[in-house]
Amino acid sequence: MQDERNSKSKGPEAGQGAAPPDQDRIQLAPGRPGMNRGAVQKPKNFKGTLLRLWSYMGDERKRLMIVFLFILAGTGVVLLGPYLIGRAIDAMTIDNQVNFNLLHTVLLVLLGAYVIDASFNLVQGWMMAGISQRIVSRLRKTLFSKLQKLPLVYFDTRRHGELMSRLSNDIDNVSTSVSQTAAQLMSGGIMLIGSLIMMLVLSPLLTLASLITVPLVYLLARTVTRRTKQLFKAQQAELGKLNGQMEETVSGFLAVKAFNYERTAITEFQGVNEQLRKVSTRAQIWSGFMMPLLAVISNLGFAAVAIAGGIMAVKGMITVGVIASFLSYSRQFVRPLNDLANVYNVLQSGIAGAERVFEVLDEQEEENDPPGAVELVNPRGKVEFQGVRFGYRSDSPIVQNMSFTAEAGSSTALVGPTGAGKTTVINLLARFYDVSGGSISIDGIDIRNYTRDSLRRSFGIVLQDTYLFSGTVKENMKYGKPDASDEEVKTAARMAGAEGFIRRLPQQYDTPLTENGGNLSQGQRQLLAIARAMLANPSILILDEATSSIDTRTELKIQEAMLKMMEGRTSFVIAHRLSTIQNADTIIVIDRGQIVEQGSHDELMRGAGVYADMHRSLSV
Amino acid sequence: MRYMTKYIRKYGVLFTFSILLVSGEAFVDLLQPTIMARIVDEGVASRDMDIVLRLGGWMLFITAIGAICASGRNIVSSWVSQRFGSELREELFEKIQRLSFAQIDRFDRASLVTRLTNDVTQVQNFVNGMMRVFVKAPLLGIGGIIMAFRLNPYLSLVLVVVIPIVGLLIVMNMRVGFPLFLKVQMALDKLNSAMREYLSGVRVVKAFNRFDYEVDKFNDINEQYEKRSIHTQRLMALFSPGVTFAMNVGIVAVIWLGGIRVNGGNMQVGHIIAFVNYMTQILFSLTTMTMITNMFVRAKASTGRITEVLAEQDGMDTKAAAENSSVSKRRELHGAIEFDQVSFSYEGADGEPALKTISFRCEPGETVAIIGSTGSGKSSLIHLIPRFYDATSGVLRIDGVDVKEMDTEELRDRIALVPQQSILFTGKVADNIRIGKPDATEEEIEEAAVMASAHDFISKMPEGYSTLLGQGGVNFSGGQKQRVSIARALIRKPDILLLDDCTSALDSKTEASIKQAIRQFARQTTTLLVAQRISSVRDADKIIVLDDGEIVGSGTHDELMVRCSVYQEIYRSQTGKEAGSHAG
Repeated sequence: MQDERNSKSKGPEAGQGAAPPDQDRIQLAPGRPGMNRGAVQKPKNFKGTLLRLWSYMGDERKRLMIVFLFILAGTGVVLLGPYLIGRAIDAMTIDNQVNFNLLHTVLLVLLGAYVIDASFNLVQGWMMAGISQRIVSRLRKTLFSKLQKLPLVYFDTRRHGELMSRLSNDIDNVSTSVSQTAAQLMSGGIMLIGSLIMMLVLSPLLTLASLITVPLVYLLARTVTRRTKQLFKAQQAELGKLNGQMEETVSGFLAVKAFNYERTAITEFQGVNEQLRKVSTRAQIWSGFMMPLLAVISNLGFAAVAIAGGIMAVKGMITVGVIASFLSYSRQFVRPLNDLANVYNVLQSGIAGAERVFEVLDEQEEENDPPGAVELVNPRGKVEFQGVRFGYRSDSPIVQNMSFTAEAGSSTALVGPTGAGKTTVINLLARFYDVSGGSISIDGIDIRNYTRDSLRRSFGIVLQDTYLFSGTVKENMKYGKPDASDEEVKTAARMAGAEGFIRRLPQQYDTPLTENGGNLSQGQRQLLAIARAMLANPSILILDEATSSIDTRTELKIQEAMLKMMEGRTSFVIAHRLSTIQNADTIIVIDRGQIVEQGSHDELMRGAGVYADMHRSLSV
Repeated sequence: MRYMTKYIRKYGVLFTFSILLVSGEAFVDLLQPTIMARIVDEGVASRDMDIVLRLGGWMLFITAIGAICASGRNIVSSWVSQRFGSELREELFEKIQRLSFAQIDRFDRASLVTRLTNDVTQVQNFVNGMMRVFVKAPLLGIGGIIMAFRLNPYLSLVLVVVIPIVGLLIVMNMRVGFPLFLKVQMALDKLNSAMREYLSGVRVVKAFNRFDYEVDKFNDINEQYEKRSIHTQRLMALFSPGVTFAMNVGIVAVIWLGGIRVNGGNMQVGHIIAFVNYMTQILFSLTTMTMITNMFVRAKASTGRITEVLAEQDGMDTKAAAENSSVSKRRELHGAIEFDQVSFSYEGADGEPALKTISFRCEPGETVAIIGSTGSGKSSLIHLIPRFYDATSGVLRIDGVDVKEMDTEELRDRIALVPQQSILFTGKVADNIRIGKPDATEEEIEEAAVMASAHDFISKMPEGYSTLLGQGGVNFSGGQKQRVSIARALIRKPDILLLDDCTSALDSKTEASIKQAIRQFARQTTTLLVAQRISSVRDADKIIVLDDGEIVGSGTHDELMVRCSVYQEIYRSQTGKEAGSHAG
């Protein structure tokens, strides 16, 4: 079952090639953005973002200019159409007999114009496809590279769904507005002005008659947009509420069932759903007036031209051909008017999308390595925390005044209640976060003076939530050491106690894992993650609740391997289980971001501190 | 489509009415060029102002009718489609609530959400479109052709040639386009999943310093998507100008042929003008129809996905025979649980069954603990009791009654479950606890929170029990969520309390104090407790040791320490002590 949410941006417009000349396209627009996107999203800085997008296009700009020239020329040619048709009609009516010479010439020119129009459209569509896709592809690439440079805090403080939508929806919006709206906007504008000029040239008086549509269009557009703006906003809000509620109920199915919560959930749903329906209906009705009424206005213009033109023709002021030309122009005149309003909205949401993409690009990156940063190669592994302080915000430190020393090759256990700051200590050590105050040093040098690259390479980290990538078992194990031989992989698996279950997998080491190792049990995933860390053969080892999801019997089996891995390496262990903790050289008890006790198991048990207390309450 | 019939019945009349109005609109559009032709041919040609004005008046009149039709159908179609969409969504939502776990597992939850949101919108848009342009376009097309033929059969020869060509182009467009779009879609899915994977695994990427590798991987996928998109869009770019060109050549032909006829005195100029107008209308309708087909394909797929859910049988026989439920009501209920040779395997899993011939009893008020390694079937066992799943064979009885014969709702009302992963809903903390007992007073909520050791941290929050939980409880720590989830269960004062390894994120001290509270509170309650730590289970009345879906030992802690080797192993692994030295 593929998730279809991401497909929504590939609407009918993609299947259409160039925009179809239908009058009713806008009616499809309100629905097109699917459920999650706003009707019209306003960019904060339209002009600035547009300019930035423009400067961002690089080499594509030249090609884009060429495409615009083609559009310009093509539209100009199309504008000639009605005029030529009028001349052709005149060739039949003047002198009450058909002037075939003139007719043939005019028709040949007309045919030529159409050929040019078609080939220009072809070239334009062909080029545009390349340009727009290359632009967004590059944008996507840049954005992804940027993600590599952002600090972990960025990911920890944002929802993944939102980042995802920036990478897919927003970039798609940019693509749409570049490839389609830009072209439409141009040709529409030219069409509008061109038609007006042609009409004025043909007959200023008749132009006046057909211009009665302009105030009507303006009035209509103003009335409609004034209402719909508010309504669409309200609709989006209700939609968000409804989506949240639905998502929650479906993913929390277990709790819903367990507590007979279905009826309440349904009632709640009905309330929001009804609310949404009311708002949407009004929004739909108001925005729905736009198109048919524009068509009516267009018909009115048609009628006005027919009547006025008829009268003028009767009086001999104009020829029948002029009426024929005018009828086409007056239609061409109204169509871009409403097209432009619609296209402008699409453009806006495209620019808003670009803005959100740029927002990510502007995020502060992980600080670069300072000049003269040293490579950390085969460290002995003495780790020192000196008065370390850290907090996302300065007023609420998560870790404060933390000082301790871990001798090279020693093991340190971090103990403390949930939320005490144990994981933060680890994050600081690996420089996922940078300290707000104090310093952390390895082998006597502040870790900020090492290159980040070499620093992290020195660590082997097994985390609480193991993450595996889609790929085979072997690929996942080699993640920390891409050049490992098959023999090394097997040895690491054996040491981690993962060999047994890997052998039972259908294709052993070549078994593909689904996203996040969904086809393995939590325990098996943990074992793989441990094997992955073992294979990387780091100097400093960090085990953050690495065995929390492995049952204690299995844990016992790999305990020995873990001890072996920890031998000669400085290691940090976070665990709840006393059996894991008590063998550590030093136990550091943390509470509310501060160290409350430290010492060996025996030392701490001798005292009557937190640790001894905890141990007694837990111990069997 | 079966599930759509009731909506057709319900809204059929309004739908037809709306279509009639659209037809009116189309008719107005179609009539205009003909009137125009008469203005030119009868009025202008004979220089008769009266005819011009009279026909012009007619033109304005039918334009007004068109305006009325357009406004009317806009209101009707908006109203109908929105109502239809919201009702369909509601029906689907209610249906999902009635599905069983096995069904939900099969559908995948993300996909269910997509069906509720995107698919319903897709169908709703299509219905809305049907009452608007989708009907108007073919009407304009066919009407245009008819009017053109009536106006001038001779010029219509051009249409006989041009329309099949255009039709062919459109068919080719769809034939070529559809498979290509599928490919683009696949590439896009791949791109998205690569992205999602990166975001979830970002910590590992950073830990192992594999940026270059990740970027390369992503760039490959990105490039592939780019290539496929360009290829597809370029191919599509061929068709649209083709269609327009064919029609335009037709227009040239009409004028040329018309010229010949006019010269022979067989035709009037107004006809040519009208004919060209009709051709434009036909062109419009043809291109619109391509788009409609695209929309139709998508709406059809969405309808399929929606009806697939609606077609599911209701999860379980939730309302068992009335007499049975009244039987269970009449009895004094205490919460005795009895597993009698129960086996269970998950639907579609062809491997080993998750539970194999499990038999044990749990007397009212007893606390029974289940311990065992990961994947030994502990959670599966717990989930059978509130009938999230039904046993594949064997019987599970509560107070002597087979659960399959009980009213599921009533059954679940007597049970409180604290799941392994705390599931909380957006809203106030108090409301989340109240889910356990909808009519709970504030005192009761607080009391439950105190028992769950949640009162302290909740009351320390600036807004106390009115603190809003974000979606999934993002602003609460794992341990805090677990405590709220425990409070929600305790407030039920259930006959049976099921604790599914729900203290994993709690430190041992908090866990101990919660356990103490439960022990006091649960004197009347049968408690079934799943845990991994010996310390959590040792003072249970009975401990059941599960291994690979089978019971390998049961008894008290002391009994097991003597008899059960698996239990001894677990003990050893957690304490580092030999069993023998401590037993007794």
